[in-house]
Amino acid sequence: MGGATATLDYDAELMLRVRDGDGSSFAALLSKHRLPVVHFLCRMVQNQAVAEELAQEVFLRVYRSRNSYEPSAKFTTWLFRIASHTALNALRDGKKERGQESLDDVAEGSLGRQIADGRLSVEESMVAGDRQAEVRRAVAALPAKQRAAVLMHKYEEMEYSQIAKALNCSESALKSLLFRAYETLRARLAHMA
Amino acid sequence: MSRMDCGENEEALMAYAAGGLDQAGRANLERHLAECATCRELVGGQRAVWNALGAWEAPPVSADFDRRLYDRIEREVSWWDRALRPFRPALARQWLPIMAAACLLLAAGVVVHRSADVGPAPQKASAQLESLRPEQVDSAIVEMETVQEFNGLVGPDATGPAM
Repeated sequence: MGGATATLDYDAELMLRVRDGDGSSFAALLSKHRLPVVHFLCRMVQNQAVAEELAQEVFLRVYRSRNSYEPSAKFTTWLFRIASHTALNALRDGKKERGQESLDDVAEGSLGRQIADGRLSVEESMVAGDRQAEVRRAVAALPAKQRAAVLMHKYEEMEYSQIAKALNCSESALKSLLFRAYETLRARLAHMA
Repeated sequence: MSRMDCGENEEALMAYAAGGLDQAGRANLERHLAECATCRELVGGQRAVWNALGAWEAPPVSADFDRRLYDRIEREVSWWDRALRPFRPALARQWLPIMAAACLLLAAGVVVHRSADVGPAPQKASAQLESLRPEQVDSAIVEMETVQEFNGLVGPDATGPAM
């Protein structure tokens, strides 16, 4: 964890340099956090085009906030606070309902490439596709805030305290939220063991 | 913290299922799991969830993501910066007097509120009221309303903008 803390401190340092007008520090932050932010949003809204549009808003807000930025929390916590608020607002406004490419289409494309590469047989690809679709449906069925908590916990490996800050709730409320979400997921996905 | 009926900590079970406990914690929990079917079932289910989530690949990011972002930054942020630039020196010069005026107004509000809380002697107050001219009363009322409005803006219910 010490390494991670050092990295996050470095991110805050980069953000302070962005505040001082250093464009290359913003490029470094973008390069490091682009993929995790887009993937988080993609799994939140389950639509790649909308996820990228939201990720653009997230990084734009980061850039706009450069003058008022104070490193009071870890940079990742601050970034994912912006990302989760952006996603929750978009879900509330029904933004993902727009007629754009859903993750089902994207997953088909990805599995198709794996067949072409020889990494998967057609049968394996179908099984993998079904499993991924089931996972996506189970996650999509969670209430949005529970979904955000699970995604930050599983994929970003964030600590409970960080996720609580990102979702603006107490650590005990976050644990209760997260455990309820996992209980629901266990009921839906335990057979995949 | 949520606990199982057997008293085991759910957080520890989840961490174990995700491979996140240290060696001593793992050994302790494994001794408990050998005896507790409910916890074994939870750990098994949680491991299945953990692995299923792990198999969910997110698609790659579009190649032109950065270019689109920098275009937006150029359009939106730079425009804003350019629009504000001529006013920045004036804003900086005006900031100090504005803050000083706000502090004075706040202090005046506190003084007015305190004197209102003291509870004036009725006879003396009515004698003072009789000696006031109508325009003085009007002016005092306007001042009171301004101070109350200001206090409402900076009071405990006033919240800053989200993020």
